[in-house]
Amino acid sequence: MLEIKCPYCGKRSQNEFAYGGDATVKRPNLGDEVSTKEWDNFVYFRDNPRGKHTEYWHHVAGCRQWFKASRDTATHEIFNTASLEEEL
Amino acid sequence: MSETFRTISENNTLDKSKVINFTFNGDSFQGYEGDTLASALIANGVHLVGRSFKYHRPRGFLGVGVEEPNAMVQLHEGDKSEPNIMATEVEITEGLKAKSQNCWPSVKFDIGEINNVLKRFFPAGFYYKTFMWPKSFWMKVYEPIIRRAAGMGVAPIKPDPDRYEHNYEHCDVLVVGSGPSGLASALAAANNGARVILAEDKAHFGGSLLTDNVTIGNKSGKEWADETISYLKSLPNVIVKNRSQVFGYYDHNMTVMFERVSDHIHNPEKYMPRQRLHYIRAGEVIISTGSIERPLSFGNNDRPGIFLASAANEYMKVYGTLVGKKPIIFTNNDSAYKAAIEFHKNNIKSLIIDTRPSSDGELVKEAQSLGLDIKFNSGIADVKGRLKVTSAIIGKFNSDKESYTSLEEFDCDCICMSGGWTPTVHLSSQAGNKLKFDESLDAFVPNNKRQKETAVGAANGSFTLNQSLAEGFQVGFDLSNSITSNNKNTSVPTSNEPSFQAHDKFWCMPLPQGKNPSRFIDFQNDVAVSDIELAFREGFRSIEHVKRYTTLGMAGDQGKTSNLNGLQHVSNIQKKIVPEVGHTTFRPPYTPVTIGTIVGREVGNHFQPTRKTPTHEWHIENNVVFTNAGLWLRPRYYPRGSETMSDAVNREALNVRKNVGICDVTSLGKIDIKGPDAAELLNRVYTNAWMKLPIGKARYGVMLREDGMVFDDGTTTRLSENHFHMTTTTAQAANVLSHLEFYLQVVWPELKVNVLSTTEQWSGAAIAGPKSRDLMQKLFPKVDFSTENFPFMGLVETEFEGIHAKLYRISFSGELAYEVNVESNHGLFMWNEIMKAGEEFGIQPYGTEALATLRIEMGHVSGPELDGRAVPYDLGLQGMVSQKKDFIGKRSLEKDAFVNPLRQTLVGLVPVDKKTKIPEGAHLVENDKASLPNPKLGHVSSSCWSVEYNNPFSIGVLKDGKNKIGQQLFAVYPLKDISIPVEVVSSHYVDPKGERVRV
Amino acid sequence: MQNYSIFSLVKNAFSNHQDWEVAWKDPEPKKEYDVIIIGGGGHGLATAYYLAKEHGITNVAILEKGWIGGGNVGRNTTILRSNYMFDANAHFYELGMKMWEDLSQELNYNVMYSSRGIINLAHTDGQLNAYARRGNSMRLNGIDAILLNREEVKKMIPFADFSDTCRFPIVGALMQPRGGTARHDAVAWGYARQADSMGVDIIQNCEVTGFDVENGKISGVRTSRGEIKTKKVGLCVAGSTTLLADKLNMRLPIEAHVLQACVSEPVKPLLHNVVTFGAGHFYCSQSDKGEMVMGGDLDGYNSYAQRGNLPMIQHVLSGGLAVFPNFSRLKMLRSWGGIMDMSMDGTPIIDKTHIDGVYLNCGWCYGGFKATPSSGFVFAHTIAKDEPHELNQPFNLDRFHTGNIIDEKGVGPKPWIG
Repeated sequence: MLEIKCPYCGKRSQNEFAYGGDATVKRPNLGDEVSTKEWDNFVYFRDNPRGKHTEYWHHVAGCRQWFKASRDTATHEIFNTASLEEEL
Repeated sequence: MSETFRTISENNTLDKSKVINFTFNGDSFQGYEGDTLASALIANGVHLVGRSFKYHRPRGFLGVGVEEPNAMVQLHEGDKSEPNIMATEVEITEGLKAKSQNCWPSVKFDIGEINNVLKRFFPAGFYYKTFMWPKSFWMKVYEPIIRRAAGMGVAPIKPDPDRYEHNYEHCDVLVVGSGPSGLASALAAANNGARVILAEDKAHFGGSLLTDNVTIGNKSGKEWADETISYLKSLPNVIVKNRSQVFGYYDHNMTVMFERVSDHIHNPEKYMPRQRLHYIRAGEVIISTGSIERPLSFGNNDRPGIFLASAANEYMKVYGTLVGKKPIIFTNNDSAYKAAIEFHKNNIKSLIIDTRPSSDGELVKEAQSLGLDIKFNSGIADVKGRLKVTSAIIGKFNSDKESYTSLEEFDCDCICMSGGWTPTVHLSSQAGNKLKFDESLDAFVPNNKRQKETAVGAANGSFTLNQSLAEGFQVGFDLSNSITSNNKNTSVPTSNEPSFQAHDKFWCMPLPQGKNPSRFIDFQNDVAVSDIELAFREGFRSIEHVKRYTTLGMAGDQGKTSNLNGLQHVSNIQKKIVPEVGHTTFRPPYTPVTIGTIVGREVGNHFQPTRKTPTHEWHIENNVVFTNAGLWLRPRYYPRGSETMSDAVNREALNVRKNVGICDVTSLGKIDIKGPDAAELLNRVYTNAWMKLPIGKARYGVMLREDGMVFDDGTTTRLSENHFHMTTTTAQAANVLSHLEFYLQVVWPELKVNVLSTTEQWSGAAIAGPKSRDLMQKLFPKVDFSTENFPFMGLVETEFEGIHAKLYRISFSGELAYEVNVESNHGLFMWNEIMKAGEEFGIQPYGTEALATLRIEMGHVSGPELDGRAVPYDLGLQGMVSQKKDFIGKRSLEKDAFVNPLRQTLVGLVPVDKKTKIPEGAHLVENDKASLPNPKLGHVSSSCWSVEYNNPFSIGVLKDGKNKIGQQLFAVYPLKDISIPVEVVSSHYVDPKGERVRV
Repeated sequence: MQNYSIFSLVKNAFSNHQDWEVAWKDPEPKKEYDVIIIGGGGHGLATAYYLAKEHGITNVAILEKGWIGGGNVGRNTTILRSNYMFDANAHFYELGMKMWEDLSQELNYNVMYSSRGIINLAHTDGQLNAYARRGNSMRLNGIDAILLNREEVKKMIPFADFSDTCRFPIVGALMQPRGGTARHDAVAWGYARQADSMGVDIIQNCEVTGFDVENGKISGVRTSRGEIKTKKVGLCVAGSTTLLADKLNMRLPIEAHVLQACVSEPVKPLLHNVVTFGAGHFYCSQSDKGEMVMGGDLDGYNSYAQRGNLPMIQHVLSGGLAVFPNFSRLKMLRSWGGIMDMSMDGTPIIDKTHIDGVYLNCGWCYGGFKATPSSGFVFAHTIAKDEPHELNQPFNLDRFHTGNIIDEKGVGPKPWIG
């Protein structure tokens, strides 16, 4: 079981969290003209790196805050976590 | 007692004052408290315990602990029956019943042994080459035979009556194994103030200190171990656990241990679970798991009576049991001499066969001084005795060690072999440690740390006591100090042990001239040297290919005694060094773990929580039939007298259409939304417009995922300028909340809004039907229920006998309807009051089935339609999609496939005969007799008996549905050979203009 | 090539099995091939076999980073089925089912296809209706499917939980009788042996490190064993697809996730069918060896580690005991993980790419094993003809732009949501 440091609550076991996927994907701004390719890139396409992956987690069984984590997809090591306002 | 195989010495762990009766294969035996099933059977002279997996060869005991590959038994009977138990791991209890497995009719005479006679036809991988003709015979003939022959024990048929628990522990230092290095580590860490857990798999602490003739300080090894354990147990910062095995090392330093809490207790107390699973998150993990002795390969080396030498020694010293009285010790190293010396203490002379030309080790010298016969430069070529070894064919090696100069037969009743030692690196490897090969040890040892794993002692390749203790104390101090910084060092006691000489790098004996007996490597799976040679011959060269082709190391013991010998053999054949061959992956668990233990308490009715509404008991009193809706139990219908389900559902639905009904809607998700940007959030989340919703009014909304698919729907009410009350479907309640939080926190942090689940806070009752207004008026006389003052989609907050109540005029049934929400603890009271007041209006409760009937008649979509694969257009919801504003998922709706006019859209369906119900899950086709594949135009998603028109009615989706109204199609259900001619009608079957809700 | 049969087995038994030939050779890579298949898993080996057999293209190399059959073909739970609702999936997997039925004979290698039937348990009437929708769709597509009521299920698996204390009672099931299992390693080895015999070079321990693309056309691959020229390259590396696609500057609708499976110790035959639990994540079959082979759901975060964590196993096994409470006293013998190429609609991609001569076979999610024959067959076609076979036309990459996605689960582009 992963041990994840919630930036608000501290270290907790993974079963308190829900995964939120790739955090490098940026949603186009509301109302902006977006090409089909740009939009589909946002909805469906992923970098999917082996190694450092920036991702969202949600402390669902805790403070209900979303935050970012930098994690190694090859070893599952979590390098650090940060609130959404902070740099990872 | 008739036993004859006990030691003279009483200095062991048995309590001879406590005799324990047990049976094996129906025969009664006696042992003592402290015996394992293995030691007790051996003490009674029983060696034949089981049959091997493939050839059904007779098998006895090889080891004394978790390394045992052969002695697997079926334990207990009935619902407590348990297959594949290592007899070496079972502590006997009064009345214990055990029997052999994988044999018929008996372990002595097993029909399956025919496989052994024919084994030349069954080499590794034989099944890939045959059983292919005729084709139909695989399923009908060959496979059933193979399946019957395979398997080991028999699974119970009944549910497990025992109970299992889970426990979560945190500590600074976890020490796995209580041998000398483990005890030293635990002692040093504990003295330095660390919170320590010390775990020992066996019943007794001390590991090799229980069997080796060594001294630590001025005490014997065993005395030092006992004292250390007593001291550790007395410390408040130490947890000491025996019968507890750490079997897995997972990510982020999570280790998992199972504890045998009451397996060894006759009639345990009721509160005791059978086993307990401990999830342990440790700051540091010290792996002091010791090592496992390697067997030697020689002809028929699997016969009962052939033991690992260390096991023979442990049986004598720990269990007071003799594995035989005429032993041959067969070794390539010094350690096996310990067994010879111990036999000698019991007045038994061993014949020693040593593959080395000589040895100066102190144990060897001691054996010589005792006058034991030692044959150096010799090996065992073959043994005799089918059900128990009776003699060994011993030969002197030629200079190349590839053959013998002469062979000679010696009688024996047991053989104690040693091929050297393999560090138990499983946990290190599971931690991610890339092992390295140590040439001098001929074994893999841990390398650079990957997590917080540190191996010490034999598990680290340090085989002397001095080294083990020094390493243990040092590591225990260093690692604890990195946590506690107490700098309290524990001094290392002096120790004394016999010196050793190097082992012989020689494991596989040559075959006797002209003979071809099997030399087994993996005992349980019957993998012999010849199988590995065959695999190589056929091109299976990667060690993983060898493993998979021969099944080497894949049995219940997971190759604890066979993996390294197999590797050694592969490297010999390939003329490569072992590290070039590599090793297979060590996977958890280290030894098999009871599934019940892994699962814990989440069994039976506790598999998942059950969510009940505040009126749950009322429903039961009123003869409800519940249905599972996610984790909720919701009333499905309330049968009266001899009513069938459809009778009851029709009555309940009709009563809503004619009078008034009440439905428990508490399980609907509810989210409180507050903040100056609350309306803006809704405007972005829902497809329709929300900015201008007046206070005190509700609106129906549909939300999409970013891929354009309908995610959820529900009504949301504006309670005040900046305060909304959202409802969701029961199924998506949790997901919608997470969805809103994601957009609020991640995507649009500039929005000032807070969201909070209030699902459990409100108890909701829907009151629906033409008489609902009269009932509401009676209940809430102060409220003006006129349409002018309380219109459709309106909200009124009021009170009922001091209870705050929110009244919504919303409707899912399509009738004039209200929803009464009160705080949950008043839910049952309110419900009862409604029922009382409603009596004169003919109120009846209705469940989810009647609710479905009502909404289907109205063409309202619900779960079966919102299947995550529909865009709003498909569900007739395109009118809900704003063209003026952007919202989640809008951009996706432009996709070619989503705007295709031929998409399937929502329609109503009526059987042409107006009688035959159309089953949900049927598909719509033009021609029900067409050849297959028959193109599907759509499907039936929800069906009901229309109480309004007294005929069946369904809704579903149909390709180009809008233009097919009035056409006739077939609803086909080939699973039941049903085909029903249906007419396509509007999905708004009842009250298409929606007038009733507005009266 | 030596023919395998009971006669050859008996004959060789009398020469102590000294005369068996290698199942496949261990050649040095040549300088150039007509087609290079990257990935010596089931799909890659099958593709090479069908290139040779169906299209006469034999100057083919399979480049395998490690040892053949070491990826998901050797790590899956061996389930075969074509019980899909959507036509594109149904037709494609049904071709696979038909191929499985003859595969042992075709390959002269016993892959132990066993049609023991796959049973999807339903726990509410609504769920059974949803299964019926799928079953009826299968039948209309000419695929076998039957609906079982509670009593019929009870006859087949009487030891399942039919008690009053059951949290999610079994109300019925959808069954595909021809669904079943096969011996996974045998599939890889059988294809390898036949492909080798037709001239395909199986090159192990050969890692692809880069591609040579000139003017939008592939001209060769760079490997740990040197450069190899070719005009056509097929990628069959599910689990590592992105890592190679990165070298071709292709961004794909794929995420790598870890899926775990586990087996119990072997016990005497008890469970004849493949059974899936409808109120949690659990499926199970009993292998010919007697082990209960069990799986469930993804660990739930992007991962290239072939290892998972115990809580997911615990979750899966709790589902297992919810179905089969008698499994509680069996022991878990071994657990392992495989890397899934999770596509964003749960459906594979078999297509050409924007680079001339580069073909893509990926996105198999949890379901690649059963597709081994049909995937190899249509991918070989796609490579040989430079256009998709009609059966893999719907599995195009463009569907993520056109909206013709094939989402059987209906959860959208979040593969970690079960």
